[in-house]
Amino acid sequence: MIEEIRNQARHLLENGEVDVVIGYAEGSDPTRTTPIFVRKVEDVDKLIFDERCINSLPLFLNKRHEFPRKGWKKTGIIGKGCDIRAITQLIAENQLKRDEVFIISAPCEGVVSHPEKWDGKLHDGNRATKCTDCDVKIPVDTDFFPVDKPEVDRTAPYQVTAPQVANLMSLKTDERFAFWREDFDRCFKCYACREVCPHCSCNICITDRTEPSWIDPAAHKRGVFSWHMTRAMHLVGRCTGCGECTRACPMGIQVDLFNQRMKDVIQDHYDYKSGYSMEVKPPLITYKVDDREDFIQ
Amino acid sequence: MAFVCKWCTYSGADLAGTSRMDYSPNVRMVRLPCSGRIDHQFMIKAFEQGADGVIISGCHPGDCHYNEGNYYARRRNTAFRELVGFNGIDIKRLEFSWISAAEAIKWTEIIDKFTEQVRELGPHNPYAELVDPYAEYLAIGQESA
Repeated sequence: MIEEIRNQARHLLENGEVDVVIGYAEGSDPTRTTPIFVRKVEDVDKLIFDERCINSLPLFLNKRHEFPRKGWKKTGIIGKGCDIRAITQLIAENQLKRDEVFIISAPCEGVVSHPEKWDGKLHDGNRATKCTDCDVKIPVDTDFFPVDKPEVDRTAPYQVTAPQVANLMSLKTDERFAFWREDFDRCFKCYACREVCPHCSCNICITDRTEPSWIDPAAHKRGVFSWHMTRAMHLVGRCTGCGECTRACPMGIQVDLFNQRMKDVIQDHYDYKSGYSMEVKPPLITYKVDDREDFIQ
Repeated sequence: MAFVCKWCTYSGADLAGTSRMDYSPNVRMVRLPCSGRIDHQFMIKAFEQGADGVIISGCHPGDCHYNEGNYYARRRNTAFRELVGFNGIDIKRLEFSWISAAEAIKWTEIIDKFTEQVRELGPHNPYAELVDPYAEYLAIGQESA
């Protein structure tokens, strides 16, 4: 499988169809992989793809990063199904044009949750949470797929509430507050959750603005609550659930629980699933006259 | 704390005032051009600064001065309410209502009812207690300056 991907990348680079191929390479130790930007044909053999490839590469397609501004006309990118959902969402939000990107994908049976847990093979103990209920093992929209692509029925309703979200929702309001209070006590606002997100697109984040200072930059709990609410609110209906924010958090706070909850809300109210269509607009930038309004007096 | 639309609710509250109706004095209003202008950041900031309850109000659907602002506000607040609830803040502290410029009576009723509702819940302590550990040092600095 990896040979086909390498051949395709070599072909693209030799013909000048793409300026760069973003993929995975061996990392600093055998348990890790690292993103690689392949610009020369001879580097193509460095590309790999296996269960250790957890990083979400669409991050590098986001205009917030310097990479898309380097004058690359077309970018080749290797992605798992969930990464391609993120690309699809970027295209739906007009952050990216479909013809600016060449998507190479591969069937994925899940990835490891943390490099430290890698012991040579993937099992229930080290599989990432997002992979448990994955429905994009065969990706939605790709330009190149190394094996024959089976037909998948995607019309079936897909709504899985993450068990932890369900647990939290079964608690009382003040117990939930106590849970977050304990968790957010550890947050020191490194903003890793923002930096790793493929959908945080602002050039200057609202937390970095000092005038007016909407979110207190100090890492005390009140400001931390505000930051995580703001972050979750900005990702409503856009988050594709790659779970990178939780993986990147150095303090082990499950910040993606907010996003998981909002995913359920949006599916429930507006029947919208992010990252499956390039045409449908995200729910918060559009409306219907007969939207539900049972909470309104 | 009330974030209201300039065209409907603010005029409605104005009508309540000029008609000399009584309502709870606990509300502080912020006038904005449209309910679509009411950013979630305002609500978050209000809670952060110790508001016990927040009201958002605008024109009825179809009556928006800008045709569609309140439809966007409705979607945004559907999501925001769920988020606030998930965060562990009681959603009874957050109220959304449609009040037109002629509905002064509805305005007074909503304010009275909401004030009563928040009074039952009591001050919003859990959030207010999350104080900045350096607040007192900052306060000292401000006094001397």
